[in-house]
Amino acid sequence: MAIPETGDARESIDDHESGDDVGTGDGPAGDDGRTVGAAAVLGLFLLALAAVTLFDAASLSRAGAGPLGPAVFPGLIGTLLAVAGVTMLVRSLRQWPSAPGPAGVPAGRLLRLAALVVLLVIFAVVLPIVGYVASSTALFAGAAFLLGSPHPWRGIAYGWTLAAVVFVVFDRVIGLSLPAGPWGF
Amino acid sequence: MDQRRSGPVRRARSRRVAPVVTAAVATVALLVTQGLGQRPEGLHALEGRQLRLMAPAAPGGGWDQTSREIQTALRDRIGRVEVYNVDGAGGTVGLSQYAQLPADPTELMVTGLIMVGAIQTNHSPVTLAETTPLARLTTDYEVVVVPADSPLRGIDDLVTAMRTDLRSVSIAGGSAGGVEQILAGLIADEIGKNPSKVNYIAHSGGGEMLTTLLSGRSDAAISGLSEILPQIEAGRVRPLAVSSAERLPTLPDVPTLRERGVDVELSNWRGIVAPAGISAEEERVLEDMLMRMARSPRWQETLRRRGWGDAALAGPEFERFLASEQRRIGRVLEKLDLR
Amino acid sequence: MDQLEALLRGFDAALSAGNLLWALLGVTIGTAVGVLPGIGPALTVALLLPITFRLEPTSSLIMFAGIYYGGMYGGSTTSILLNTPGESAAMVSALEGNKMSRAGRGAAALATAALGSFVAGTLGTLGVTLLAPVVAEFAIGFGPSEYVALMALAFVSVSTLLGSSRLKGMASLLVGLTVGLVGIDAQTGQARLSFGIPALLDGIDVVIVVVALFALGETFDRLLKGTGGETVEPVRGRAVLSRQDWRRSWPAWLRGTVLGFPIGALPAGGAEVPTFLSYSTERRLSRKGSRFGRGAIEGVAGPEAANNAAAAGVLVPLLTIGLPTSATAAVILTAFQSYGLQPGPQLFSESGPLLWTLIASLYIGNLMLLVLNLPLVKLWARLLTIPAYAIYAAVLVFATLGTFASGGTTVDLVVLYALGAVALLMRTANVPVAPAVVGLILGPLAEQQLRRALALSQGDPTVLVSGPLTIALWGVVALFVVAPGVLKFVRLRKTC
Repeated sequence: MAIPETGDARESIDDHESGDDVGTGDGPAGDDGRTVGAAAVLGLFLLALAAVTLFDAASLSRAGAGPLGPAVFPGLIGTLLAVAGVTMLVRSLRQWPSAPGPAGVPAGRLLRLAALVVLLVIFAVVLPIVGYVASSTALFAGAAFLLGSPHPWRGIAYGWTLAAVVFVVFDRVIGLSLPAGPWGF
Repeated sequence: MDQRRSGPVRRARSRRVAPVVTAAVATVALLVTQGLGQRPEGLHALEGRQLRLMAPAAPGGGWDQTSREIQTALRDRIGRVEVYNVDGAGGTVGLSQYAQLPADPTELMVTGLIMVGAIQTNHSPVTLAETTPLARLTTDYEVVVVPADSPLRGIDDLVTAMRTDLRSVSIAGGSAGGVEQILAGLIADEIGKNPSKVNYIAHSGGGEMLTTLLSGRSDAAISGLSEILPQIEAGRVRPLAVSSAERLPTLPDVPTLRERGVDVELSNWRGIVAPAGISAEEERVLEDMLMRMARSPRWQETLRRRGWGDAALAGPEFERFLASEQRRIGRVLEKLDLR
Repeated sequence: MDQLEALLRGFDAALSAGNLLWALLGVTIGTAVGVLPGIGPALTVALLLPITFRLEPTSSLIMFAGIYYGGMYGGSTTSILLNTPGESAAMVSALEGNKMSRAGRGAAALATAALGSFVAGTLGTLGVTLLAPVVAEFAIGFGPSEYVALMALAFVSVSTLLGSSRLKGMASLLVGLTVGLVGIDAQTGQARLSFGIPALLDGIDVVIVVVALFALGETFDRLLKGTGGETVEPVRGRAVLSRQDWRRSWPAWLRGTVLGFPIGALPAGGAEVPTFLSYSTERRLSRKGSRFGRGAIEGVAGPEAANNAAAAGVLVPLLTIGLPTSATAAVILTAFQSYGLQPGPQLFSESGPLLWTLIASLYIGNLMLLVLNLPLVKLWARLLTIPAYAIYAAVLVFATLGTFASGGTTVDLVVLYALGAVALLMRTANVPVAPAVVGLILGPLAEQQLRRALALSQGDPTVLVSGPLTIALWGVVALFVVAPGVLKFVRLRKTC
């Protein structure tokens, strides 16, 4: 009953990259729906990577190369990527019907993940404008909040402290130039 | 009652206050260190602002060393100069980032022959035309070396071997399209061979190149003089010829290529550029500053210690030199098939 | 005896109160930059160089020695506690070390790392003092063919890193190999997988990949699982090393040192390859039913020792033949030269006193690291009591700082985020991320050396087995391939 429609589930994973309970990747092969679904997506990703690698290898010139040209290794890696991708895809599709548990993730958490990605992008954009300390404070406070901090306001104070200490140590003392805002930090 | 309650209450309050206190302390630290180490003096055209100098290479590389020596030499004259590294691809990564800077005369970048070549081989969308060339400062000549026990006695032997069978002579050197490969290509071209057929073995660093040579796997190697000098002095490698116009004071017994009938001269020069669009006055001030530095005893001592040649050249002469180098290197790279 | 006397004089010069303070400052800065991903000793020393010109040469050399060893040391702390390596060579320590800290044995893992680093660092420094010329001869005889054999050995041995599923381990390795292809091909100067983006021409920095796969992956994963509020019990049971821990640690330290020192001395050896080799050696030597994969102390002790011994090994070619084999070594060479020390064959005869002061300060820096860190082990482990949301928010701040320090362009940040997304996908699919880093480090080395070897022999593959060293290395490779089967067979017969 809990088995979702294949196409539907894959699409949701494709868009948001699902998660599951096995994080370290070293345990026994997890077989629940989310793991199998992610493995299928990874198989597709490997196939795409193979296509890009092989296409790029084909465009290389052999001029000036020794006995082994610049395209030999990419060709080899691309082929192996394709093989691994297909195997992974086939294996997960076979496991799909028997995998217990849903493939999706609660919508709230996906929303949080999307918010973090947006936060990271905003960070990259505003970093050169408002400087390291202000943007890192925002990154810290925002990330702590999204990860479930019960005291969002303390996050700002701690984030500011952390960013300021990093800035003083690395920019002012050691001399690694970090981006500064109009107020000098 | 009060006694018993005050503990947790105080702790809760301190927990609320502590972050604010630490943040305040950190802010004070930020404000106190503001302007630390900046000593703006002289150079009115720069309005007393601090110079920033980009080394378009990793820490430890040739451009990085040049930048940090300039930083030291300029400290007495204009105060602290900030050096930062943007690593990658013969300096073209740094160049593409540098070209986006506004026409600010306090933003400088180190450049050199390698960048001239890399712009072409990497099809860099940005060229040195998008900068204001200020001055050439140093030069490092190249040396052709063989292992100490090599059967090749002199550069004539090497040339003969290359004439007989070009592919059978392996030459180790630095990165593909770099100074060493350019020199190998120039030599091959000069003796009537196809430069793109040279069996050139590229390496990412002098250390790796040296092991290839000393493990007896390559027949010869080309290296910058300052880098290989310790090995020559230790007798591990034997110099066959230098790429300078005249014999070098550090290696008076080693002939130049030209002397031995190979009409090639190549120097790995390094210089400084400013962003495009700075005013003529700003350009003059910066060039003047660099030329004064180049004449200072401190800089001369640096050159001696590093084994670099003095190649101070500024203004229109430098721009003419740059243009001629771009043409010459472009031709070689085309023949090397590194277009 | 002359040497001993000179060394004692070196200690005499280094052991003033002022110099000890510089050493303390050095190891503190070094540990700090080692902890932070992306900011290593090379950048730090380069940045500090102009400031230290005002110091006495002895003082600044002592400080640099502290930064150098401290940087190697600090990388493992976050690796063990937070599964976030501060530098690529500390990645292997995360495999077992992080499992240990999740089981409440973080303090023990940190202690064995500290002691292992000290033992390896001291033995390595001893090696520099006594064996430098011999090891240097070995290192410069290591041509492309030898490297190919060494890489084959590394590839064979990393099969222990692949995890439970061969297919998933291979997939991860292949992702790393593909990332390793990005950038200009060193032999022909052509750009591969760069799509005309200048910032990709020089390839993707290992640091960015490590930060993305470990730190970002972990953060995204926690967000998705909603485990941001949890903390781990930092110390369960006995805090530091038990007698059994000692017994299992010290042979691993010594084996790690033996692997790390000579490979560190190789121009293209690096600190990562010996940590891979050490991990797989320990894993293969471990008995059946050992804790490997669930937090084995040998898996931290060996690689940590290998890492630090390699750091000492780097000094061998630098001091004896003036050959910098890493970015850090190149910067240190600059520092030497600015004080009038010319490393090279004449170093020992010409720059006597200063050199011995430097070597003495290496011993001192190492000892100071141990003294500084061992008592702090429990304190560091308390880091785990900070709620995960705060830790991973801070990790994000440091990760972006490191990316900025190593590249500084928006493209680098985009690459970081994209690889973080790939890492999340891999974790969810139960695919280990460590093999990707292995592939990224070994792939380009293996490719360039193989192509170089074949270009030198003009296509003759027999060059790969020419010379006694290559044959010996291939022998070890064969042993690695055959040994597990033979061992199984022997055990089977015993039980029969």
